[in-house]
Amino acid sequence: MSENLSALSGRKGLEKNLFEQLVEKSKVEGTPDNEDLKSLAHEYLMGEAITYGTASFYDFLKKDHRHVKAHVCNGSACLVAGTQENVKTKLLEHYRDEEIGHMCCLGRCHENSAFNINGNNYSGNAIEQLDKITSSHIASLTDNYKVSSNVENPILTGERLTAAGFASLFQKVLTNGADWALEQIKDSNIRGRGGAGFPMGIKLESCKNVSGDQKFIVCNADEGDPGAYSDRYLLEAQPMLVLFGMMVSGYIVGADKGALYIRGEYPESVRAVTKAVEELSEHGMQGKKIGGSDFNFDFKVIEGAGAYICGEETALLSSLEGQRPEVRVRPPYPTQRGLFNRPTVVNNVETQAAIAWIVKNGGKKYARFGTSKSSGTKLVCLDSFFMNPGIYEIEMGTPFKEVVHDFGGGFKENVKAVHVGGPLGGIVPTHKIEILSLDFESFANEGFLLGHAGVVSIPEKFPMIRYLEHLFEFTGAESCGKCFPCSIGSVRGKEMFEKARNGETRIDRQLLDDLLEAMEDGSLCALGGGLPLGVKNALQYFDDELRTYFK
Amino acid sequence: MSTTKNTVFINNEEHAFEQGEMILRLLRRVLGDDPVPTLCDAPNLEPFGSCRVCSVEVALKQDGPKKVQASCHTPVMANSYIYTHSEKINRIRKNIVELVLTDYPKEKFEEANPSQNELKKVAAQVGINMSDVRYQPGKKNLNRTPDENHAYMRASMDTCINCYRCIRACDEVQGEMVLTMEGRGFDNKVVMGMNEGFKESDCVSCGACSQACPTGAITDIYASKFNDATKTERTVCTYCGVGCNLDVATKDGDIISITAPYDSEVNQGHTCLKGRYAFQFYNHPDRLKTPMIRRDGTLQPATWDEAYDYMTEKFTQIREANGPDAIAGISSARCPNEENYLMQKFIRAVIGTNNIDCCARVCHSPTALGLQRAFGTGAATNSVKDIQYTDCMMVIGANPTDAHPVTGAKMKQAAMKGTKLIVIDPREIALARYADYHLQLRPGTNVALLNMMMYYIISEGLVDKDFVDNRTEGYEDFVSNITNLDLDKMEEVTGVDRNLVREAAICYATAPNAMSFHGLGVTEHSQGTFTVMQIADLAMLTGNIGRRGVGVNPLRGQNNVQGAADMGAQPHQGAGYMDVTNPTFHKQYETFYGVDLPEHIGYKIPEMFDAAIAGDLKALWIIGEDVVQTDPNTDKVKRALTSLDMLIVQELFMTETALLADVILPGASFLEKSGTFTNGERRVQRVNKVLEPIEGTKADGQIIVDMMNRMGYKQADYAPDTMLEEISQIVPFFKGITWEGLGKNGKQWPVPEDGSSTEIMHVDQFKRGKGKISYFDWKESKEIEDNGSEYPYIITTNRELEHYNCGAMTRRTNNVQILTEDVLLINPKDAKDIKVKDGEMVCVTSARGKVDIKAKVSNEVKPGVMSTTFHFPEIMVNLITSDVHDSEAKCPEYKVVAAKVRKSKGKYAEKSEEQLAKA
Repeated sequence: MSENLSALSGRKGLEKNLFEQLVEKSKVEGTPDNEDLKSLAHEYLMGEAITYGTASFYDFLKKDHRHVKAHVCNGSACLVAGTQENVKTKLLEHYRDEEIGHMCCLGRCHENSAFNINGNNYSGNAIEQLDKITSSHIASLTDNYKVSSNVENPILTGERLTAAGFASLFQKVLTNGADWALEQIKDSNIRGRGGAGFPMGIKLESCKNVSGDQKFIVCNADEGDPGAYSDRYLLEAQPMLVLFGMMVSGYIVGADKGALYIRGEYPESVRAVTKAVEELSEHGMQGKKIGGSDFNFDFKVIEGAGAYICGEETALLSSLEGQRPEVRVRPPYPTQRGLFNRPTVVNNVETQAAIAWIVKNGGKKYARFGTSKSSGTKLVCLDSFFMNPGIYEIEMGTPFKEVVHDFGGGFKENVKAVHVGGPLGGIVPTHKIEILSLDFESFANEGFLLGHAGVVSIPEKFPMIRYLEHLFEFTGAESCGKCFPCSIGSVRGKEMFEKARNGETRIDRQLLDDLLEAMEDGSLCALGGGLPLGVKNALQYFDDELRTYFK
Repeated sequence: MSTTKNTVFINNEEHAFEQGEMILRLLRRVLGDDPVPTLCDAPNLEPFGSCRVCSVEVALKQDGPKKVQASCHTPVMANSYIYTHSEKINRIRKNIVELVLTDYPKEKFEEANPSQNELKKVAAQVGINMSDVRYQPGKKNLNRTPDENHAYMRASMDTCINCYRCIRACDEVQGEMVLTMEGRGFDNKVVMGMNEGFKESDCVSCGACSQACPTGAITDIYASKFNDATKTERTVCTYCGVGCNLDVATKDGDIISITAPYDSEVNQGHTCLKGRYAFQFYNHPDRLKTPMIRRDGTLQPATWDEAYDYMTEKFTQIREANGPDAIAGISSARCPNEENYLMQKFIRAVIGTNNIDCCARVCHSPTALGLQRAFGTGAATNSVKDIQYTDCMMVIGANPTDAHPVTGAKMKQAAMKGTKLIVIDPREIALARYADYHLQLRPGTNVALLNMMMYYIISEGLVDKDFVDNRTEGYEDFVSNITNLDLDKMEEVTGVDRNLVREAAICYATAPNAMSFHGLGVTEHSQGTFTVMQIADLAMLTGNIGRRGVGVNPLRGQNNVQGAADMGAQPHQGAGYMDVTNPTFHKQYETFYGVDLPEHIGYKIPEMFDAAIAGDLKALWIIGEDVVQTDPNTDKVKRALTSLDMLIVQELFMTETALLADVILPGASFLEKSGTFTNGERRVQRVNKVLEPIEGTKADGQIIVDMMNRMGYKQADYAPDTMLEEISQIVPFFKGITWEGLGKNGKQWPVPEDGSSTEIMHVDQFKRGKGKISYFDWKESKEIEDNGSEYPYIITTNRELEHYNCGAMTRRTNNVQILTEDVLLINPKDAKDIKVKDGEMVCVTSARGKVDIKAKVSNEVKPGVMSTTFHFPEIMVNLITSDVHDSEAKCPEYKVVAAKVRKSKGKYAEKSEEQLAKA
């Protein structure tokens, strides 16, 4: 986090974005060459080290990514489903080993066997049609999952909002004014869906109250929790909802630019949103004088480059600036000093997507959904171990078992636990499903985390020791490397579990507890800080299975 | 217990905190220097939060639930309870440090000294040793090749703990961004440039990273923070006018390293490679260690008594035969105030002439004169600190990132963060990259360009009428002149688009607070004094005088060039700038010195040379100034010096000037004597003796005192405190200065009797009453008028970061490994026209002479304009510079040389081919 780099990058701003340029330069060879990095550094008045250091951070920009043509999904859902090996074997028939890399969760958790070739994602039985894919560059094959809701007039999964619908709904906002819109959002009591659950109305209000001639709205579409593909659904099936929320946010706080930072692992999402923005332009709903008013708003779609940490809002801002996406200290909060050192509101896709319903139906009406502390609905993603994998819009406070049984249709095979809320969420043993309800408080009270509400099932046959090793490995691979507890601790933890699994050394429980405490309480952000939760859940509920690995 | 909005409890004890204060800062304030351990925090860096070792427990109410928070970046909450050493916190800290030790080389840890290696210190604080590490051996990042190729910087990254301090220092302090992390997570590693070494990277060797590093993973050839110094003395740098404070570490009478004190108000823990690393000259074998007298045409060693006798006899002879005005002195802006005061006193009170001058003549004499005319005082109106308060910086004819690196870094920091920046310079200097406006004018057209700016300020209605009406005079005349400005012609001669000038003028005039900085690109011109007065005009027209973030701020070149003039080392004003021809002041000086003094103005340096050639000047005593290499028109300077009956050169080294001397006096370096230097913001700071003068040499002040006594004037032995006492009795703005009272950070003059310091001048009124606004017509330089058609290119001279002036000192340090020679910058178009490739030798001819120099093809200069330096005697660039002077202050026009340039022939062509082949 460099104030200088933020400012220098801000000189060219979003229009000619440094990070976008770096991604662009990597498209041909898989990594930008040093001459490109040099000329970009000079163009943006930075040291050559800066663009070099930035590129080296990302899976899809770093030197090792040169010549990589195919990527295997190494997310948690594909891991427990055991499909990765087959995908890799099949890919090896077409590519040399060094041409095959990995991507961390393509959001195909509903059918697994996920891989990416030439910027397209595939899953399910697509791997069996590799000949066809490599020869004819078919954009996409199957990607089917169920979508439904337990509310009558769904907020997120209803009828697709069109550009015309967008325009008329935004007219209502313009007519009633920014204060009215903010009031609706505050009344709705909606909390951020990214995991932290911060009230959106307060965030908007605080940014509104910061003076500044340039402010930004950023949509965090880089929350890459393996197992959670709800953002992907919204971006691809309901892009107008997301864009609408951003524009209303901009109208409220006085921002005229909105950036969507979309995971590079979701190429279809990038295309869908780009197309939606184009449609809005055609309807006069992007650029100058939106809907004939004095309000201006431009969207900018930025594609990520393979770094889980960019889902952390301050890392995302650094990424957007072309800096290394290392987590920043707070304060300053993004609403005070965010993108390019300007006041910025960062919100998750799902949070933004709810705004259209709120301004259409009223904030108070929204607040009637859910519980007093967790209002509204939440998208839940069920993976391929469920009879009915899919995206379900569930009213907050709904018993979790209803989601699992009524919507998910139960499990296809024996599952011992569900990992809810991504790798940093809690590991819920199946017997606890009965007593949980789907809201922030219920999960927290039971020692779990609702988070993003992605559900990854851990089958009976999958060793818990291996799963915990995977969690440490994931954290180690995705840690930005800034804070000591996370960057070193995750690797030591992974080694500890790996050695125990191999039978080399049993785990010293005191040392593990010390490690978990140092990470949980000492880490700078939720990556290192969040990992211990699931591990502690497993130690508590799967003691029988894990005991043999301990001293 | 009371509960107010500023109350906090630290380990259950009530304390007051400041709003917005971070916990760590509070703890340091309340509990002392090291209240909690930390590895990533550093005094001059922003809170970063990577090590987490400074974490504390915080409860929002008594006995409430506690949360672990990193104290460095967590603001104090009112009425909260902070626990610095709870059981949990102690455990977490220890467990984090244990993790760090799993990736740290065991032997190096065992060997490390906890008073130097911060990891070792912190490990001891949290109670862990290498042997306590419980983790099984695992992945490590210890396999890194040491980087030992740079002239100063060293890296052995196996002991790097990834605290990012070096990267942050390079960014937040120096602004160079040479360092970065490469990779991600545990695999992160600090690299230089694009994973090169320091030498290949764009490193400017400032050493900020080395000073920041807690473990010595990045250090320097002196292992500055890790050597076994026995003593550290704080003093002030001898190079530029920034006046950085330095902590000089010694052992057994040798200097072993220099670091920058964090509590220095001038440089806050920062300095440049000259201040930090270029001290090897001080005991270089080339140091002059004995007086010498020219006998039978050769310089031969002599005793001090012989030298003094020789000088005394000659001075007496010449004075009797030719009068006192046949003797002159050039004092040294490198020497402390006290020595300059003594030198001018010797010339005036002992010899009886006003023939005293110093190198301010060839650099900022137009500033002193111009600002005296406009404001009444010839010094910076504001302080460097004002950079943080200003909205707009105008940098004209200065290249601070090379010539005033610490101030330059501060400007760059401000510009990067968005402070408006206007650069007026013929070259694309480093700051120009960050500038909102770069007005790349043709050398010699400053007056034309500034007139254009002022024209637009007036035509756009941006004049601060209140300020102009109440505080200035001459506005009406000025307006009537400037409104008739021939914009077409001005645009043509400057070569700068009028719209760009207009926009820059609007930017300066509309900024709430705008400040200007200028350097020798303003003064070293035939219209130098006028340009200074125009800069003053700009400030007055827009009301940018007398408060924070505004003013006119000359970047003084030499460490004590401000002081040398303050002390009276100039022919028209005595100590304290009082006019020697004014009867009242004349009387005052006579009474004070107790002798009769001359009433007429003495020779300025160029006039001394003319007088010597004419046979009127017979003896010249030069202290610490290599006029042969650095003054313009070398042939003429040499002719002048060889015409003298006696040339005395008091020096550290056998310079080009010393080679011509009849008497050599071996002086002492700044490290070997005490006194005071006055920096460019009028800050008088203590120079403290670090070492005794090396054998055979003497403090320059003592040499002068010795000679004063020999010549019959009683003067007590040299001591800085008593000298300052004498000075404070005659220099009005030193009235409240005492040696003891200066303290660590000095004081900015004027210092009245009460001892208070002045950061900003002319707050309520100007020294001269009303500020004087004046108009000047642009006039083509005589050099161009006379020689421009025959010599079509314009060569301008500048400085490089690595070398200082004639290079006598810096060339005797490792700085020569970084910058090895003078080169001529040539625009690619010109290079093509004269068929010269990068690295080939070119022959440059002016009306004075010719030099052969290596071409460097660069876009830094526009077609038609070339630029070079005169750091190296091998080239002697001043053979070609002109001795045309500023009409008012007689400062030479180094910045405009009409020249012909062609590819070298003969031996230089061969050299050229050799070099190309090597490349």
